[in-house]
Amino acid sequence: MKPSEGLPHDSAHLHVTGRSEYVDDRPYMRGELCVHVVYSTEARASFTLDIAAALEAPGVAGVLTAEDVADNHWGSIFQDQPVLAATEVNFAGEPIALVAADSFTRAREAAALIKIKYTPLPAIMSIDEAKAAGSFIGNHRKIERGDVEAALSRAPRTLKGRIQLRGADHFYLESQVAAAYPHEDGQFEIHSSTQHPTEVQHVVAHALGVPQNKIVCQVKRMGGAFGGKESQAAPIAAFAALAAKKFQRPARVVLTKDDDMIMTGKRNPFQNDYKVGFDDDGRILALDAQLFSDGGAYADLSTAIMERAMLHIDNAYYIPHVRVTGQVCRTNFHPHTAFRGFGGPKGVATIERILEEIAHVLGKDPLDVRKLNCYSQKQNITHYGQAIENCLLPELFERLEAECDYRARRREIAAHNQSARENGTPLRGLSMTAVKFGISFTTRFLNQANALVLIHRDGTLQVSTGATEMGQGVNARIAELVARELGLSRADVRMMPTTTDKNANTSPTAASSGTDLNGAAALIAARKIKSRLSELALHVLEKPESRWARHTAGLGTEPEVEAQTIEQAPDWPSGIAVYHGMRFEDGFVFSEKAPEKKITFQALVHEAYHNRISLSEYAHYKFPHLSFNKVTGQGRAFLYYTQGVAASEVSVDQDTGETKVLRTDILMDLGRPVNESLDMGQVYGGFVQGMGWVTTEKLFYSPKGLLLSHSPSTYKIPSVQDTPRVFNARLISNDGNLVNVARTKTSGEPPLLLALSVWTAVHDAVRASKRRDGSFPNIEVPATQEQVLRALDPEAFVP
Amino acid sequence: MRKNIIFYVNGEKHEVGDHRAGWMLADYLRYERGLTGTKIVCAEGDCGACSVLRWHPYPSKTGAPRFLPVNSCIATVAQLDGSSLVTVEGLGRPDSLAPAQARMLEKHGSQCGFCTPGFVVAIAGLVEKKLCARDEHPITEKEARNGLTGNLCRCTGYQQILEAATSVPLKQCQPAAERFLSARLAKELRAAVKEPVLITAPELEFYAPVTLKDAAQYLVENKDARVLAAATDLGVVHNKGRIRLSRVLSLHLVPELYELAWNKSTLRVGARVTLARLRTALKEKAPEFSRFLDIFASPQIKNVATLAGNVANASPIADTPPFLMISDAVVEAFGPKGMRRIPIDAFFTGYRQTALMPGEVIRAIELTPPRAGERWSVRKVSERKDLDISSVNAAFRLGRQARGELRDVRLAMGGVAATTLRLRKTESVLEGRVLTPETIERALETLRDEIKPISDVRGSDAFRQTLARNLLRRFLMEARA
Repeated sequence: MKPSEGLPHDSAHLHVTGRSEYVDDRPYMRGELCVHVVYSTEARASFTLDIAAALEAPGVAGVLTAEDVADNHWGSIFQDQPVLAATEVNFAGEPIALVAADSFTRAREAAALIKIKYTPLPAIMSIDEAKAAGSFIGNHRKIERGDVEAALSRAPRTLKGRIQLRGADHFYLESQVAAAYPHEDGQFEIHSSTQHPTEVQHVVAHALGVPQNKIVCQVKRMGGAFGGKESQAAPIAAFAALAAKKFQRPARVVLTKDDDMIMTGKRNPFQNDYKVGFDDDGRILALDAQLFSDGGAYADLSTAIMERAMLHIDNAYYIPHVRVTGQVCRTNFHPHTAFRGFGGPKGVATIERILEEIAHVLGKDPLDVRKLNCYSQKQNITHYGQAIENCLLPELFERLEAECDYRARRREIAAHNQSARENGTPLRGLSMTAVKFGISFTTRFLNQANALVLIHRDGTLQVSTGATEMGQGVNARIAELVARELGLSRADVRMMPTTTDKNANTSPTAASSGTDLNGAAALIAARKIKSRLSELALHVLEKPESRWARHTAGLGTEPEVEAQTIEQAPDWPSGIAVYHGMRFEDGFVFSEKAPEKKITFQALVHEAYHNRISLSEYAHYKFPHLSFNKVTGQGRAFLYYTQGVAASEVSVDQDTGETKVLRTDILMDLGRPVNESLDMGQVYGGFVQGMGWVTTEKLFYSPKGLLLSHSPSTYKIPSVQDTPRVFNARLISNDGNLVNVARTKTSGEPPLLLALSVWTAVHDAVRASKRRDGSFPNIEVPATQEQVLRALDPEAFVP
Repeated sequence: MRKNIIFYVNGEKHEVGDHRAGWMLADYLRYERGLTGTKIVCAEGDCGACSVLRWHPYPSKTGAPRFLPVNSCIATVAQLDGSSLVTVEGLGRPDSLAPAQARMLEKHGSQCGFCTPGFVVAIAGLVEKKLCARDEHPITEKEARNGLTGNLCRCTGYQQILEAATSVPLKQCQPAAERFLSARLAKELRAAVKEPVLITAPELEFYAPVTLKDAAQYLVENKDARVLAAATDLGVVHNKGRIRLSRVLSLHLVPELYELAWNKSTLRVGARVTLARLRTALKEKAPEFSRFLDIFASPQIKNVATLAGNVANASPIADTPPFLMISDAVVEAFGPKGMRRIPIDAFFTGYRQTALMPGEVIRAIELTPPRAGERWSVRKVSERKDLDISSVNAAFRLGRQARGELRDVRLAMGGVAATTLRLRKTESVLEGRVLTPETIERALETLRDEIKPISDVRGSDAFRQTLARNLLRRFLMEARA
């Protein structure tokens, strides 16, 4: 497999020369204001504000507070969060005021003159405190199958425990940013780095108190997002818009990395309690899992994240009796939010660690325990009642086991650890974990998209969808799908910036669904035009060129050709649609019956125009079959599953707790990739991002909940030195995903979850430590050096 | 006396004689010149998105002029006086890509694209290194990893970037000097840096003398002046709004500060000698320290940061002081009253405080690395192995007499007290003794009481105690074996 075979990212030539434009690369307009955000330094407090001195500072246009916000509530699911705090703050980092000045330096200096008088109020600073106080967000959810109590009491063996999964910062390179330009008649043009332009449009409209048709939000590209710009870009855009409205000047918010990390929410921390029943072979009989997440001060997307965690508690494994409950806790931290994988990684981490522990207790190889429990063709019904179609999990395990030489390495590591135990040199560990990631928003109505396709007279296309480009290559994939359908090269298809005046009521580019939803919509639109062009071609190819409309339409000497649109239900298995027997290939159009007679695509487009046949089309698409009922916790939640396995080998330094990833092998099922190179980029990149979460990325807060690790000097994402020394990733061939566009499977989030193999491998290494009592180590995510050293040598840390 | 600083960007001349001299170069490029390919992410030199290539007349040396990658987000415009700079835009255009750019495109090295310009510049820096050394072998994976340590990417997982770097066709590459350092230009810049600069703008006074005497005089007259060496630290505190650079003394035009020379077994390191040059100088006589410098910081930082700066900063977790302590280093200070030599053990007087008097600047640091036959080690423990600030760092050294008694034991540790510590008490337990398990145990017990680590973002006190103990034990166990 050579990942370099696919076309490059459609902006690659701009990226590498520094010519790709991001929001803050836009030239500053005459009079443009720089907006600095003043935020709380208290976890919870009432406050009063004195802005007088700041107003007098040089270069300052003014200061905005809650009073300047028309409707001071926003939120993706529950509208429980103020745009600017009015009298009470609920987390350290919560925006209080905006200082607009003619430079960021002056705005920042003026902001230092604002006096905020806090009266601290009791705050909730952990999941345990929230549980004790009954401080929750949303309902207590439950998904249940079978009789868990009975199965647990019957089970020959049981284990129980608690798993701590900490948060993580997205660390998109481009921090939150937005620019707002006031236009005539009270309209505003917003340029935002957001995954969700529609929500930005709506939040800005509410904050400004204007109808939605006065706001246009545009997204050209983001410098990374990973979920962090799904909801939390919206208030940033509102800040810029509020200043633009108040002062009738263009206004820009550009957060520093430090302020961004302090203000914005992270991956939700989870605290998961479990009781599992199993037999002597390691077969899981019942699982009772109680998931609690830290939602932070406001709801944001936390309830949906919790739902996905609950739906992924099974991961690749069939569990006959399951009860999984979930409750989001309201604390006084920044409101936690979407992050690649959403809740998935928190469910999957739980079951994967449980499987390691079962193997440890039984003295078995964890891989054998996993294979024993793996979903199969026979046992393929999830705890929420969805049948897993196209299940390749057993095959993935078998193939990777052979390809990565698992058994021989297992023996070699056991021998190595024998001596390492004695002389204190680094221990090694090996673990193979799986991912079965459900593709769809679990909230059904979000699974819709629309697209606009315009063909211009020279035969080139402009395609607009609601998908936003954040590096994943969604635009490249959509362009390739459309180009293939019309027999053109990708260069003929230009993806336009995402704007809400072309594509309205869109869903966020999230849940890995960007290409699946928007690519399908674009393809449907392209096919509608294609059906008309096909009928036209039928007529045109019968006539001599002298009678073509381009020569005759001016005088009207030939009758006009009528072409009907054929509207078909999406038929993905067929691949390329064919209408009237016409083929579109290599820039030509011809009949299957007489392929020697061709017309160029460009000439056909000319003919269409002169015959008054529309060259534009709009289409809407929704995922079929979805039936998940949130109240019963049952139904088809997902269109399909992306699946994969990974084996990671680590070494753990017994002196320092330092972990090195020596080797990782990944095998994934991505159906038929649209662009394999881009997909491999998601696989490698998602895995390494996940590695950061499970190893070095530590969020460190002051007692007041102010994030202290708020820059790369203290918050450590993986560097080029940290990637697995041997890093193999391959795709399994699978043509069977008939439910999705082009039979593809999306790659966005799932690879991140495979990094849990590094975390479980660390457990595997640590349990060999001579200084342990034989119990299975309980290591948090992230397994920082301190965590690992503690687990290696618990006694050294006893005060 | 010049009133402007002068430098070139992509072959175009820039002269700045006002407050913009106090801006960070990245801001100047982006917001003054529209060169927005250079990105600002962390504003602290940790992510490399702001990387540009730089040549400067100092240190004067023979051989092919080499452009080095540096971080433009923490370099003031003023400090670039005399430089020829190349930004990502200067390397190539979308319709005529430079080889490093073409490979990044072909190998899918960019996803969101925000870190990409920095990586392209860093790869171009690796290419420069190869071309200037006349090394025609392709960039190896190890060279690529070391050369890209200072660049963070959140999208790709680095694999495709490594493939791009290791497949750059060196034969198709052109040294940057051929495009951005004509003979005329080099001559102009070399002449310019011989003349001092004084900028007096309302928001900024900037002075760059060419002699130490003038520097000391200025400091006596201007007590509030900040001495700018490489600004890898001061630039950060400026960016984060904790200080404002309003009166600045820069030593970048004082030629003697670039001197680096051996005198028998002692290395004299001028205050403007970068860590990159130090690494090369110590490669033979203290290879372990050279390798240590590989994980110390990024190439972009090491190309500007100095040993003197690392010392003057007096951070308890600075990574060079433990090594300097076991190398009997001496700090040579220059001030209004002339020269003064301060042993490194006496240099750190408290948390971020030094023995330097008002008006004094560091002129050089002399160090005597361990001799052949001595056992020594430098260690650094940080959450991430590379380009991370230490939780604990250490340097240990010991010699032995004929019957195995230890002599000249020197132990130093950082991250365990308010300053880097010379562990005198622990040393005394070991000095003159033969290494037995009991001696080691006693040394470890003494160590426990001698250090006073704190809990902070990089770890708890218990973690640091355990690390300190494990590092010393490992060193002594290996010495015993």
